[in-house]
Amino acid sequence: MSMEAASTTPLKVALVEDDAAFQQAFRNALAAAPDLSMVGVAATAAEARVMLGEAPCDVLVVDLGLPDGSGVDIIGEAHGRWPGCAIMVATTFADERHVIASIEAGASGYLLKDSPLPTIAEDIRVLHAGGSPISPRIARQVLMRFRPDEKPAEEGSADAEAAEKSGIPSLSEREKETLQLITRGFSFEEIAELMGVSRNTVLTFVRRIYAKLEVRSKTEAVFEARAYGLL
Amino acid sequence: MASSRLALTQHRWFPWVAWVLAGLVALGVAFVIESRSGGHRLTAARMTTSDTTGYQLPPATSPESLRTSGRAVTMPHAPAPVFAPTAETSPQKIATRVTWYSLSVPPLPDDGRQLYLYIPRWKSDGSLAVYADGHLIHQSHANLQWNGSNEPLLIKVPRTDVSHPPHRLDIRMQHVRGIGGAFSSVWIGTYRQLAPRYTIREILQVQLTSFSSFAFLATGVFAFFVWLTRRNEPIYLLYFLTSALVFLRMLHTFVGVHPLIISDAWFGWLTVASPYWMIVVLHLFVAELHGKRQPWLTGAALLVSIVSTIATLPGLIDPTLMSAPVYVNLLILGVVVAFNGVRQSVRFKSRDAMLLSIWCLITVVSGIYDLGLQQNLISIESVFVSNFTGVGFTLLFWYIMFGRYIEALETATQAKADLARRLAQREAELTASHAKLREVERRELLHQERQRLMQDMHDGLGSTLVGALRAFEGGKTAELDTVGILRGCIDDLKLTIDSMEPVETDLLLLLATLRFRLQPRLEAAGVKLVWDAGEVPPLEWLDQRHALHILRIMQEAIANVLKHSGAKTLTVSVRAEGDQVLVRVQDDGRGFEPAGLPAGGRGLANQLSRAEAIGGAIRWEETQRGSSLALALPVSKVRRPLS
Repeated sequence: MSMEAASTTPLKVALVEDDAAFQQAFRNALAAAPDLSMVGVAATAAEARVMLGEAPCDVLVVDLGLPDGSGVDIIGEAHGRWPGCAIMVATTFADERHVIASIEAGASGYLLKDSPLPTIAEDIRVLHAGGSPISPRIARQVLMRFRPDEKPAEEGSADAEAAEKSGIPSLSEREKETLQLITRGFSFEEIAELMGVSRNTVLTFVRRIYAKLEVRSKTEAVFEARAYGLL
Repeated sequence: MASSRLALTQHRWFPWVAWVLAGLVALGVAFVIESRSGGHRLTAARMTTSDTTGYQLPPATSPESLRTSGRAVTMPHAPAPVFAPTAETSPQKIATRVTWYSLSVPPLPDDGRQLYLYIPRWKSDGSLAVYADGHLIHQSHANLQWNGSNEPLLIKVPRTDVSHPPHRLDIRMQHVRGIGGAFSSVWIGTYRQLAPRYTIREILQVQLTSFSSFAFLATGVFAFFVWLTRRNEPIYLLYFLTSALVFLRMLHTFVGVHPLIISDAWFGWLTVASPYWMIVVLHLFVAELHGKRQPWLTGAALLVSIVSTIATLPGLIDPTLMSAPVYVNLLILGVVVAFNGVRQSVRFKSRDAMLLSIWCLITVVSGIYDLGLQQNLISIESVFVSNFTGVGFTLLFWYIMFGRYIEALETATQAKADLARRLAQREAELTASHAKLREVERRELLHQERQRLMQDMHDGLGSTLVGALRAFEGGKTAELDTVGILRGCIDDLKLTIDSMEPVETDLLLLLATLRFRLQPRLEAAGVKLVWDAGEVPPLEWLDQRHALHILRIMQEAIANVLKHSGAKTLTVSVRAEGDQVLVRVQDDGRGFEPAGLPAGGRGLANQLSRAEAIGGAIRWEETQRGSSLALALPVSKVRRPLS
């Protein structure tokens, strides 16, 4: 459906970014791509919230360092209000701390700010089409978060069972394998070949892993709140 | 109010004042009781004496002639004694004397009440018999010499159907000629009138010394058992010996009313010899308190004591008869030891030793008084003061041992507290030194990190930016690949940031990060990257510093390929070979002669020094096409201190 839509109507892209230089670069990148159209720009979290009250767009790119708040909050709100929108965090270094926080808030990818303009446009397209980028370090972080013994060991198996029932998702073997190969430096194409699947399948794995990461962070918060008697 | 009372009891002088007050109250009570008692005191008497040899039994009735014979005397009466009466020790041959005192009793009401005679003190050194209206009513029945003369007498006047208060009292004493024969005044009255006087004198003269002797001995036995477990503290043995000797010495004040189980001679020997040893032991005890022994004086005291003890053995010199010279000798020894004790106590600053020595001196003075009493120079109705100083010794010894006990407890408590304090101090010191060490370590780490980054910036980012700056200044911008330079700088920066994140011994993760960073540039350059990552064991030594070196070596190698080789394919392979991990960067370009490369000079030198810094090695390997760089890294290595 999206491919069909892309051929007919351009993707609606919005940007939350306070840096005028990157705003301009982003505009330029989109101007050069006829299949992408800039539908909104917000320079602050407040403006972003106003924007979120309007009609949803297809892709939202959010910078984390906003003058009046954190981009992570905007990502969370956007994920709630625009459920069909693919959200990207704009980052220079793709450092795992920020990226993972964004993914847990509902983002499904990141955009490297120093990428060449055509690459920016391409990344937006890929993301909208279901592909999520993932760096080896992020893959490793995700693996560590989902490792069963990574949770406090003292709580024992009863709690682990409770966690199972409370809906905290776990990674499938294939997903784990994908992540492991990513940490060893293989590209999506190479992984697809090594695992004997299509590149799209690998992309699906990654997108699913991101989704699980998000669910996990939310259910875990609920689970912990219950454990502490807050809910 | 409560708090001020508490403060009062906490003063150091409080116990002393309390003791003095208690003593004064007891004395006051005694005086009140004494003053409320009654009875008649008889002091006028006629004394008749006759010399005899040996001892005879008293007659059943007293001669009528006593009322008029002899001479009038006032009771208490004591004949002046002879200093050394006789050398004869056999009771049958000894020169004796019978002394009669005849006292007239004033008319008393004949109301049928029981009458008593109260005799505060008497001193016969022989036998005593008391007659009322000529009839024998009381006689001593124990030993001849040690016959309980220290005990006051309370004698019932017999009541019969013809009873009426007696008009005349006769007292017969047969005693060694030259000593004894002394008698106090005589009281007559009802029990209620005389009992208070009698009781107070009995308590002071007999019970007090008896109780204190027994109590002292009991604590002495306790001390003896303490000594048995603590043999290196002779003070406990000395305490026991003192208590035992004081007990022996004090025996004569409360036994003798009834026959003794040993002869007069042996009992006298015990009584006279024991104070010598008391002085010796006291001297040792005082030395133990002030901590300075005096072998010469101890030897001299021992010698005197041994000689006196042997000399007074029964059969040699009868101590009972010879008590006066023996006691004079004893007083001299006591004075010497007491003065010496005072001097030593001052010199070695011992309060307890001083107290004992001063008390010893007081005892010597009271001993002089007692000698006067014994020699009838002082009224016979007085008491032996040294008996009370003996009680004082008991109290002093208790005080000293109590002080030692409290001190030991204090020391134990203090030691415990001290130990806890020292432990806490040591702990604090350890914590502090640990914190200091950690701080030093932290600073060192920070310093190293700073050095590492500065070196890196200097070699990479810094020099690139300065080169670009110079080019801009020189107006040679056209020659510059500005975008390329800036992308290179950003890549540099990204690798620097990557090197700050821990990789936790995972070389592949590090290389994967590198690929992730450089992939866009390779793609832009149209170079195909073949990624051949095999299994690699964890490298325990791989920390941030090492990580950056590896990243830079690889970055340089790939950059060289991109710049100079014109290669289409770049292969990065990672293999474990033996105890090494080999990272190869191969290309299919023009080939590459490391020594002959002009522009690569600094870069290659950099690679070599970085490889050396991490304990690895770089080789340029022969290949059929292109070039091959191999970075060999040890799987494990002895960690060297960071340079």
